[in-house]
Amino acid sequence: MNWKVNFAVTAGACVLLPFMVPQYSLTILIEALIFGLFAMSLDLLVGYCRLYSFGHAAAYGLGAYSTALILTQLQLPLPIGIVLAVLVTILAAIPIAWICTRSTGVSFAMLTLAFAQLGYAMLFRFRDVTGGSDGIVGIPRPSGPLGITWFQGKTGYYYLVLGCLLGSYLLCRAIVRSPFGAVLAGIRENEAKTIALGYNTRVYKIATVVLAYAFGGLAGALYAAFAGFASPELFFWLVSGRVLIMVVVGGAGTLIGPILGGVFFVFLEHELSQVTDLWPLIFGSIFIAFVMFAPEGIWGILTSRFNAKPEVPNSTDRKETSDAAA
Amino acid sequence: MPLLECKGLVRRFGALVAVDAVDMSLAAGKIRAVIGPNGAGKSTVFNLITSVLKPTAGEIIFAGENITGLPVHVVAQKGIARTFQLCHIFPALTARENVRIAAQARDDQRWRFVGGGRVLSRSAAIADEALEHMRLTRFANVSAAMLSHGDQRLLEVAMAIAQKPRLLMLDEPTQGLSLEETDRAVQILKGMLSVGNLSVLLVEHDMEVVFKLADDITVLHRGRVIADGPPAAVKANAAVRSAYLGGSE
Repeated sequence: MNWKVNFAVTAGACVLLPFMVPQYSLTILIEALIFGLFAMSLDLLVGYCRLYSFGHAAAYGLGAYSTALILTQLQLPLPIGIVLAVLVTILAAIPIAWICTRSTGVSFAMLTLAFAQLGYAMLFRFRDVTGGSDGIVGIPRPSGPLGITWFQGKTGYYYLVLGCLLGSYLLCRAIVRSPFGAVLAGIRENEAKTIALGYNTRVYKIATVVLAYAFGGLAGALYAAFAGFASPELFFWLVSGRVLIMVVVGGAGTLIGPILGGVFFVFLEHELSQVTDLWPLIFGSIFIAFVMFAPEGIWGILTSRFNAKPEVPNSTDRKETSDAAA
Repeated sequence: MPLLECKGLVRRFGALVAVDAVDMSLAAGKIRAVIGPNGAGKSTVFNLITSVLKPTAGEIIFAGENITGLPVHVVAQKGIARTFQLCHIFPALTARENVRIAAQARDDQRWRFVGGGRVLSRSAAIADEALEHMRLTRFANVSAAMLSHGDQRLLEVAMAIAQKPRLLMLDEPTQGLSLEETDRAVQILKGMLSVGNLSVLLVEHDMEVVFKLADDITVLHRGRVIADGPPAAVKANAAVRSAYLGGSE
């Protein structure tokens, strides 16, 4: 149970972090964790099903706008508002998933992109509700239930986000290691064979898209309540592109990797944007470098450094063993 | 009542009639081979039975139930397992995980998306048994991509038997194997088939293999059945000799 120790140590370090850094850097830390959660949600699709979504901003935007509307229109406590926003995201995700999974590969990517852009366009069409290009501002963080207020301050909000991230990670980890997760691996490796074995792969894919939307919606909800506003940019395809890059650079198919990728890019952007306006150029160069030289991502580099590689017999070994078998 | 019955199966691709009024039946516990020259329609018959292709006409009865045109995964859940002519495996996964996923397909709790440790260990036990049957135990923890072509074909058979099928369909299990590998595969298959009371439908190119394994043989030629019977009778059949064996014996 080595991972439990690692998990406990990491979680403990994250809990202590607010005491070690100045208050103003908590903002960037919270944003980094939110993007880590967002990237991890996309990893369920990209890393485990090899379904490349180019429209994951839809999940983020749905979560953020639902939270914004619920908290500004209804007198509900923050945690309940966030839970409701995730439920709204799930409800919206079901028809989207049903349609997108009718296709695979490039068409899947284009359909997901189309839905995100549709959401973007709808924000301007229904400006009475969504505020159009102004978005929704002045989102409160109402207290309760039971008079709880600890999450209203910045440090408290950090712990709320951290709790959501760690809980989501544990849940996703359980999912990808379950019988359900094994079928996702089958779909990734050879979908035709998985169907021939008797699995209704379409249902598995729909369920995974909905799960990815749920966790992505949670990230968006946490962001809206933290920033205090929701703007149409949250639905924009640049957000989808950024989070996809975070997954690939972090290490797809590992859950932890994309979290690191999200944290890494938020910090990098923060630091670089203070120094130069050319930071997107550096951003892009890093992406190209990872794709070319380290396709296994940040987490892949870290684990191959600290762990011995699993022993895989090479082709000559294989030949000998099958000769011996014959 | 036969386990599998094909009645008047027809499949057209445009003007081409790939399968033309094929009648065929398989009794439980028997091994039937489907043979014929290239383009005779053998693989098309396979794809019709497993519902990968829909028949233009005719019907398929399995265990007394009409399964014509059902979705592929539903047909598999009825208890029909198959291997593909071009080996279909999960290359990046270990041999055990390949077979485990196949075994899990028949588990009532295969949907479990958190926990499910018992489903995993149950199907892992079935997988180890199937690997043992195919003499692949030593490769259990090796990724499937690393196996030789012959072992990959056996791995796919292991996946099929782990599904605990009522009907096992093997599409040219020895295709692309060396002579030695073929002998070994035939030995293993023969051992496996004699133990379990399996019903098998076998498409095979290699005559030697067919005569060693099959109880009955259906000979297809240009989509039609030209002979049907035990190996000795088929071997002696004049139409078969001219169409397929080319009178070379």
